[in-house]
Amino acid sequence: MRAVIDGTARLLVDTVDELSRRAPAIVAAAAHEMAGITLGLHFGDDTHAEFRPQQSRLIALAVRAQNPQVEAYFDDRSMRLLFDLERRPIDQILAGSLDVRGERDNVLAVWRTFKLLAQRASGLRSVQILWREYRDRFPDYWMKQLILPDTENGAVKNGAILHRPSDTGWIALDYLDHRHPEESDRLPSMVGGMLVPKSRSLWDGRKSNPWWELDAAYDSDLRDTMLNCKTRVRDEIAAIIPDREPKSALYDLIREYPKREGKGLRPTLTIASCCALGGQSQDAVRVAAAIELFHNGFLVHDDIADESTHRRGEPTLHTAYGMGLAVNTGDAMNLMAVDAILSNLPTLGLGRTLGLIHEIMHMCRETVEGQAVELGWIRDGIVPTRDEDYFMMSTKKTGWYTCISPCRLGAVCAGETSPERLDRFNEAFRLIGIAFQIQDDVLNLQGEESLYGKERLGDLLEGKRTVMMIHLFRTVDPITRRRLEEICHRPRLEKTQEDAEELLETMQLFGSIEYAIDLANRLAHQGVRRFEEDLAFIPETEAKGILRQIANYVTTRPL
Amino acid sequence: MLSNLTIDPQETPAPYPLGARGPFPDCRLSRVLERRWLHYALLSRDGELGLVANIAWLGPPAENDSVRPRITSILLIHKRGIGWTSSQFNAETAALWSSFRQPHPFNTERDFQVRSAAGHPSVNLKLQRTSRPCTSQCAPFAGEHFLRWQSETGVIACGDWVHNGTLHTGVEAIGYHERVRGYWGWPEMGGWVFGFANDPAHAADAQTSAPPTAIVFTLIQPHSPPDAATGSVMLWRSGRLRRHFPRRCVTVSVRGQLDRDRVCQVPDLANLFGVPSMAPIPRRLVISAKMGEDYSVLDFSCEAAARIVIPAETGIDPYSVHEVIGPVTVEGRVNGERFAFETFGIVEFAGGAGGD
Repeated sequence: MRAVIDGTARLLVDTVDELSRRAPAIVAAAAHEMAGITLGLHFGDDTHAEFRPQQSRLIALAVRAQNPQVEAYFDDRSMRLLFDLERRPIDQILAGSLDVRGERDNVLAVWRTFKLLAQRASGLRSVQILWREYRDRFPDYWMKQLILPDTENGAVKNGAILHRPSDTGWIALDYLDHRHPEESDRLPSMVGGMLVPKSRSLWDGRKSNPWWELDAAYDSDLRDTMLNCKTRVRDEIAAIIPDREPKSALYDLIREYPKREGKGLRPTLTIASCCALGGQSQDAVRVAAAIELFHNGFLVHDDIADESTHRRGEPTLHTAYGMGLAVNTGDAMNLMAVDAILSNLPTLGLGRTLGLIHEIMHMCRETVEGQAVELGWIRDGIVPTRDEDYFMMSTKKTGWYTCISPCRLGAVCAGETSPERLDRFNEAFRLIGIAFQIQDDVLNLQGEESLYGKERLGDLLEGKRTVMMIHLFRTVDPITRRRLEEICHRPRLEKTQEDAEELLETMQLFGSIEYAIDLANRLAHQGVRRFEEDLAFIPETEAKGILRQIANYVTTRPL
Repeated sequence: MLSNLTIDPQETPAPYPLGARGPFPDCRLSRVLERRWLHYALLSRDGELGLVANIAWLGPPAENDSVRPRITSILLIHKRGIGWTSSQFNAETAALWSSFRQPHPFNTERDFQVRSAAGHPSVNLKLQRTSRPCTSQCAPFAGEHFLRWQSETGVIACGDWVHNGTLHTGVEAIGYHERVRGYWGWPEMGGWVFGFANDPAHAADAQTSAPPTAIVFTLIQPHSPPDAATGSVMLWRSGRLRRHFPRRCVTVSVRGQLDRDRVCQVPDLANLFGVPSMAPIPRRLVISAKMGEDYSVLDFSCEAAARIVIPAETGIDPYSVHEVIGPVTVEGRVNGERFAFETFGIVEFAGGAGGD
């Protein structure tokens, strides 16, 4: 249960915070509409809020804005009544209850922003819960006039208002809208069910609307969906790993990495892609589990190759159990992943299972090639000079199995086997994957270890060829470069934390981190654009809304 | 025994020289898209088991062909909490029952035996009629295409059901029976929503008497022409059709979407082929009808669905019919009498998938 919302400004700030976590695509679109305008809001309860866009993020603070381009004042009534969707806002706002000031274009931009927020966010169940809490604190304004007398057909029962036949004319649409609480429509679902569904008419006595045509849904709740998918796939992995000997030397170790939970990006992409293309979420669960097993197998081997000491906040497998067991555990994870893919045969059929094997083979080949490219660079002491080289390596090493393949595999689970359609995922999620990887690399330099999971500056100690490193070597003067090369060429165990700090300071001095953040932002925007263009063939459903949120998540990720 | 209902198309008489007789002529199917169906939907009184069976006679592949009409029979059984099981399109019909094809007195038990070629699902039931059929209705569309149907509700059944290899004996059920005659292609058909609900009635004589209230609704949604869509609600009271709410008096609305994990695809063979994505099945369906002081409201919640993938006769794209089971509440008033009941119902959502 949330804390009671204290003041109208807090309600709006909490709404934006919720949206940033749950539906970043909405926030990104709103920030785009705001286009650099700072908005100051004042409310009748003497609370104030400031809204300003920062790239694709919307910064909302419960403070009085300094030098806003647009200011708006809502009296005590207006915000509360705006929630009442059964009445038109124009009927609710009295003269003087709303005052907006600013240049015309700016005011219009703010109006568009709030219209967009209202249209796309109001259907989210989590936002409705937030606003309902707020409304319930002030029932006087809206409740009295709607309750009907306690008559035979219009009794108030359990808080729901049952309209009389004469009120509704027994029109099916009214019946659905008024007589029955929406909650009774809900059934547990892995993807979807995050929006409050709207009723629609199939037949009003004259006009027919096909039963199979849904209203378009552009968004969904990313946070809850990721949690659902992550939990379901974690359970599936637990079921796949055998409960037999040798436990302490193998199967217990296999359980180690999946327990160290990540964000759930890959399972969500896989399952949402399957649903977006008309498949059943359940059909993609085992494939999503297989991808996670591959991923964990790659991580175990990658940590050995990189000589990493920590993974997701805990010691790496080879650090804790020794090299031999770790290598064997990584092999076993890959083997189990193959087994999990093959076990789809009875449920998905031969055609789709063969398609999955084909996709998995491609994914693994790309991953090992990417790993080879990076390890080769480190072995030979090469720091590439072009960002494109990094893009190629990053896409192969992590992009395919993190972003592109989960989408393609999900689509295959849904029965999509057309190479042309499967390829539509590639470019959008290639760009998003690179942006995501660059952001991860930035977080390794800037983020807290507890949040990021790896040891701070671990990438610098490993000599990882990141965009920052490439930019730095491209930008520095020859003398500094020689010094940097001297540090980078040392084996990891000979590098000290001071060496890493020195590299970091030089990166900051030459603007490499800002460059990387900006590059990631540009790539993410290109990715979002390609997502909308290339995947336009997928119908607008909640499942596609989840894919859209993930695409935009990269643009709104706090760095 | 209703020997004339065993499936042997050779028994189909030659066309009448003066044209087809009546709305459901018993004449030879001569064109590829001509169809004759017998349809059954039954629900056990406790709502635990549900059955859908469809026996279809289809016209010969080429016009004026001497080849026999094709027959496709399918049987689906649903068990609450477990799901649907289905035969392929070759269910064996040892004994068929139809009050239309073989009129017989009320409360007279007749055999109805259908089983999958694989052995299960299967049913071995005694059926009896308790109600009178509605007047036949016809939906013309897309030029010469048409769908004509006639329903009889309050069909009572008792017998053995085999679901997933488990035998359920002495199951009492109630449902409806329908006959269909038509000429339509699946692309032209568009879609439909059909369904029924019988008041389960817990009276002592419930196993032999007509349900106090029964309701059958239809909504036909062809792609063309624009005004071809039509719908109706028919209301029975104690076995007699009391009210037919015509299309202008009926409204139909839906909300939400049934989780796709609650939809299974049948027959199993369909899973081997590249079948287009299924349509989003609504989670709630409300059908209201009002004429003068009489009205009825049916509120159906979709709980589990089976998507039947039907091979097309003239193309490679299959057609989908979704059999959906779930709780239903009905209330209303007719001739000054109020009625209300809660039970389980079966609704068919047809069409919708890519390629349908």
